Amino acid sequence: QVSVLYFARSAELAGLRSETLWVPRQVTSLQLWEEIVKVHPRLAVIRDQVVFAVRQEYVLLGDQLLVLQPGDEVAVIPPISGG
Amino acid sequence: MDESEGVPEDFIKLKSEKLSVDEVSELVVSPCCGAVSVFIGTTRNNFEGKKVVHLEYEAYTSMAESEIKKICRDVRQKWPSIKHIAVHHRLGVVPITEASVIIAVSSPHRAESLEAVTYCINTLKASVPIWKKEIYEDEYSWKENKECFWANSEK
Repeated sequence: QVSVLYFARSAELAGLRSETLWVPRQVTSLQLWEEIVKVHPRLAVIRDQVVFAVRQEYVLLGDQLLVLQPGDEVAVIPPISGG
Repeated sequence: MDESEGVPEDFIKLKSEKLSVDEVSELVVSPCCGAVSVFIGTTRNNFEGKKVVHLEYEAYTSMAESEIKKICRDVRQKWPSIKHIAVHHRLGVVPITEASVIIAVSSPHRAESLEAVTYCINTLKASVPIWKKEIYEDEYSWKENKECFWANSEK
């Protein structure tokens, strides 16, 4: 059970800023994305432009295996534009 | 070294109130330092012929602060003589010509602080989870820094 945070365009597409999702303890980052898109299909359009932040470290969408603990924070990160 | 010169500090703040160049530069001033370098990012009033009404910034605040902290740590590794670093970034609505970000760095001599400020703003644009929305007269656009490696290259 993880907290998923949405920002910028991803928050607009998902229609919310945060929620709790049930996910397997071990997933690849791509599998995690697919779980999220099942809940929010409109997010599919930004798939090629997002990364995750898992426990505040950036993770690309791909084969990287994530070991998630209950309460972990996962954020959907569209292209950044600070500064 | 004299105790009153103080321990090197990082001053990091994300806030919705107007930023102050005086406040940020005063944070880094130190008796041992002959140079304070400051970068101010301000908001332009136009993009591709469209009039920008104002900007809106949002942030993954806790991670943005930790990423800025990492930048400060890297700065101190690359330029060990750097004394204080201050990074203030505004969130929420920022009117045209007002500052969205102010970075100030102090060092004994000018070369290091000038280089460190450049490094700070360039790295901030590549790695800190803050997003800018440009509001035009009848639409808006989420911006993407070219430094961001996961943005589509053509924009």
